[in-house]
Amino acid sequence: MQAESTAASAVAPINDGMVRSLDPAHGQIELLGSRCATCGEVSLGTNAVCLNCGGDNIESIALGSEGTLWTFTVVRHRPPGNYLGPDPFEPFGVGLVELPSGLRVMTPLDGDISTFRIGDKVRLAPWLLREGEDRRWLAFRFTAAGGSAA
Amino acid sequence: MNDSDIVILGAGIHPFGRFDASAQDLGAHAARAALADAGLAWSDIEAAYLSRMYLPATSGARILRRLGGTDIPIVDVEAACASGGAALRQAVLAIRSQDVETVLVLGVEKMPRGFMDPSMIYSPWQIRMGMSMNPAYWSMRAMRHMHDYGTTQSQIARVAWKNHRNSVHNPNAMYRKEFSMEEILASPLVCDPIRRLEICAPNDGAAALVVTTGRRARQLGGNPVTIAACIHTIARYSADFRCPADSMSATIENTGPTALTARKAYETAAIGPDDIDCFEVQDTDAFCEIEIYEEIGLCGLGQGGPLVEAGHTDIGGRYPVNMSGGLISKGEPVGASHLGQVVELVGQLRGQAGARQVADARTAMAHVLGAGGNCAVTILRH
Repeated sequence: MQAESTAASAVAPINDGMVRSLDPAHGQIELLGSRCATCGEVSLGTNAVCLNCGGDNIESIALGSEGTLWTFTVVRHRPPGNYLGPDPFEPFGVGLVELPSGLRVMTPLDGDISTFRIGDKVRLAPWLLREGEDRRWLAFRFTAAGGSAA
Repeated sequence: MNDSDIVILGAGIHPFGRFDASAQDLGAHAARAALADAGLAWSDIEAAYLSRMYLPATSGARILRRLGGTDIPIVDVEAACASGGAALRQAVLAIRSQDVETVLVLGVEKMPRGFMDPSMIYSPWQIRMGMSMNPAYWSMRAMRHMHDYGTTQSQIARVAWKNHRNSVHNPNAMYRKEFSMEEILASPLVCDPIRRLEICAPNDGAAALVVTTGRRARQLGGNPVTIAACIHTIARYSADFRCPADSMSATIENTGPTALTARKAYETAAIGPDDIDCFEVQDTDAFCEIEIYEEIGLCGLGQGGPLVEAGHTDIGGRYPVNMSGGLISKGEPVGASHLGQVVELVGQLRGQAGARQVADARTAMAHVLGAGGNCAVTILRH
């Protein structure tokens, strides 16, 4: 695992090979994916083998930051386990966002829980999470395109 | 029943609920009840399979030691919510191979209250980001179905109303209380649009079956029920976005696990949905049952809501579903869940289901579906 660094400023990706900063302040990020040269399928994260056909001729790609909300829900209870979102808990959206690269990504949604609609245009946004005193993670979520950031 | 058929000769259950009793106590109770129902002794059993998800290693041997010393193979089987189907299938295959003739299949679970431990199925990053809530995944399916087909919250609540009403007559269910549609629709949202009275809870329980050949059952007498099909599959690539999926393809849509497994079961049993008299299915949430109606062929795509609204899946309807009260009422002790469905259906086919009996039930289907896209369907005939 990464992020055992003692430097308080060190920020590690929430999952290796899935999300990357585009600037030192983590103001902009991109989601990373893999495209199979054999069957053309795109998958989330950096994978050595295609999850569809098992092929190993894989190209790393950026998945794009603009998408459409394909479905969603509102999580009304604190999720079980080591959830690092707001404490005290606040209900939040979770959605499946369709990206132009041909993938739907499961993601937290930032914004007013009463406003989400299937078909909404949404945009990738960085989400910095703190775990204990010195662990910081670069995570991601999607927010209404044109909506206000947290 | 033919000599070459594989049959259930004994069925036993420990009620589903929350108990101080240990997993050993629960399991031994169900196993003894199944043996007594079959008219057999523990020493007549030649192999045993334990279905469980949460219990530790060698639980099968540790539970069944309660019945007395043995040297038979006892194997623990796990396939998430479909564990019971996977274990029953192992028994069928072992008997078909003619290595053994009489097998015990036992399902036991003892689970903590509340949402299931996410580290069992999710990656640490998903848990940190709050993506570890199983009902969120079911609810996202419901939202999309409502968007595509106009399925309503009232139709979803109607499933919960039916199952809670059926549970009143089931002494093996954890919750045995009828609720009005208004009470269900006023219960708090867990994950929109699914509400507290529309969702199942993990709990404790056990169920057991004695499985043997038609030949042996004929020699022994008793009241055997034939296993016409027992199928287990996992979801194909991008066929399902249940937990713990982190994404799905927008370009490939494979047949979903329930439709695929039911199709294989129908082919094996050489029958179709209209030939089946009653059903027990995976109502982890009330919407899920609507989707299952469509996937097992009780109605067309998008017609599940109107089907339940018209009462067609009530006891006395064309396709009675979850006469036991379903998981919404019984709770879901994961390893015991499918075998509990089969115990219910054995009772239905023998005409022993009391106030929840489906008239003249001759053929029945049990269905489970869960994490990793694990799905199992068992078809029984009497």
